[in-house]
Amino acid sequence: MTAAISLHALTKRYRAFTAVDDVTLDIEPGSICGLLGPNGAGKTTTFKCLLGFTQPTSGTVAVGGKPIGAETFETLAYVPERAILWDHLTVGEHLAVYRRLYRTYDDTRAREILAMFSLDPKKSAKKLSKGMRSALGLTLAFSIRPRVLILDEPSSGLDPLHQRYVLDLMIDAAANEATILFSSHNVGQVERAADRVAILNKGKLIVNQTIDELKTGEKIIEAVFAEAPPHLNGLADDPRILRIDQVGTTLRAVTRGDSDEIAQRIFALRPKSIRTIDLNLEDIFLNAVAGDQR
Amino acid sequence: MPAVFTVDPRSGVPLYLQLIEQITRAVALGSLAPGEQLPTVKALALDLTINPNTVARVYRELERDGVIETSPGRGSFVRANGTVGEARRAVADIALAALEAAIRDAKSLGLERADVEELFARSIARWYPTEENA
Repeated sequence: MTAAISLHALTKRYRAFTAVDDVTLDIEPGSICGLLGPNGAGKTTTFKCLLGFTQPTSGTVAVGGKPIGAETFETLAYVPERAILWDHLTVGEHLAVYRRLYRTYDDTRAREILAMFSLDPKKSAKKLSKGMRSALGLTLAFSIRPRVLILDEPSSGLDPLHQRYVLDLMIDAAANEATILFSSHNVGQVERAADRVAILNKGKLIVNQTIDELKTGEKIIEAVFAEAPPHLNGLADDPRILRIDQVGTTLRAVTRGDSDEIAQRIFALRPKSIRTIDLNLEDIFLNAVAGDQR
Repeated sequence: MPAVFTVDPRSGVPLYLQLIEQITRAVALGSLAPGEQLPTVKALALDLTINPNTVARVYRELERDGVIETSPGRGSFVRANGTVGEARRAVADIALAALEAAIRDAKSLGLERADVEELFARSIARWYPTEENA
């Protein structure tokens, strides 16, 4: 299957600074991919390269199997973190512009979304709060029923109720086979809406997996010993252990793969107790970024 | 839909496993009756605010396990034949996984086999009382 969004060995350097470093990512049609990463990790630069707003230093990008061109934008919607609006126009006039610009514009859908966000069509764009500007940007993006959506922090500035509406919009679009790539600092949102998660850190893609695979694969094994830290017996070199921490008499190992086998190995060190803990996405994110800092 | 599902996205248990367990349980308990129609993938995804591919995967796996059947254009239904048998077996799997986790914990806490057997006997007596001790 041709990926709906495809980045191959994408690299973007600004003089000595590498903002995006050899990123390869394929997103299947109908999938929602959540892009997580600390500030400055390269999320927005990745979007700019993907959209052709900046020339990559090397590597390629494709949408629907084709390089970015004028026709890409007939079926693609992009909402930057700060929505780009015409300040001298009202909310309703924005819809009128979109009606003329996009063949696929769906006025009924646009009005539904406006009502959902309680946006008044008569209100001038320059009088909208930051959150309401985002809401209008999202309304416009979803009203053209795009095949591909690129959303940069789509819920920033929105209250929790409106954030939930944004998830509903994404889920509805994906159920109608749109493909979505969105960045977020809200791990809980990614956990709900996305089926794939990509984690960027310092320009590098350090995680790219389905959330189901990640949650099934990563566990923490915590062992408590009677006294002093045990001799680890080469445990730290086991490739299935991503990191190992020791605090007092407690040993914590983050594992990927067969956690039962690792548990058996740790059990052989004769701990007083041992338990396996399931990780949620926030744990996985923090572990991945912390593990990468070393 | 008489059966109400809830999932916890913040849990370490993948969402598709949470949902498979709940639907299987609802079928085994009869709150989803044989022949009953399940919501569409889109409706359930929107209802639970979760990814539609996750719901689609749940339906695929439940169909493979013989708990539901899907006919193109009509939707997904709780299987009329053998449903309860399949669902009971699936429920037994869920219960076995929970028991195994409990036994593994007991072992890792250093309990001996006899201690664990005694604890189980006590727990069984509590939840499955016989006439004398009811």
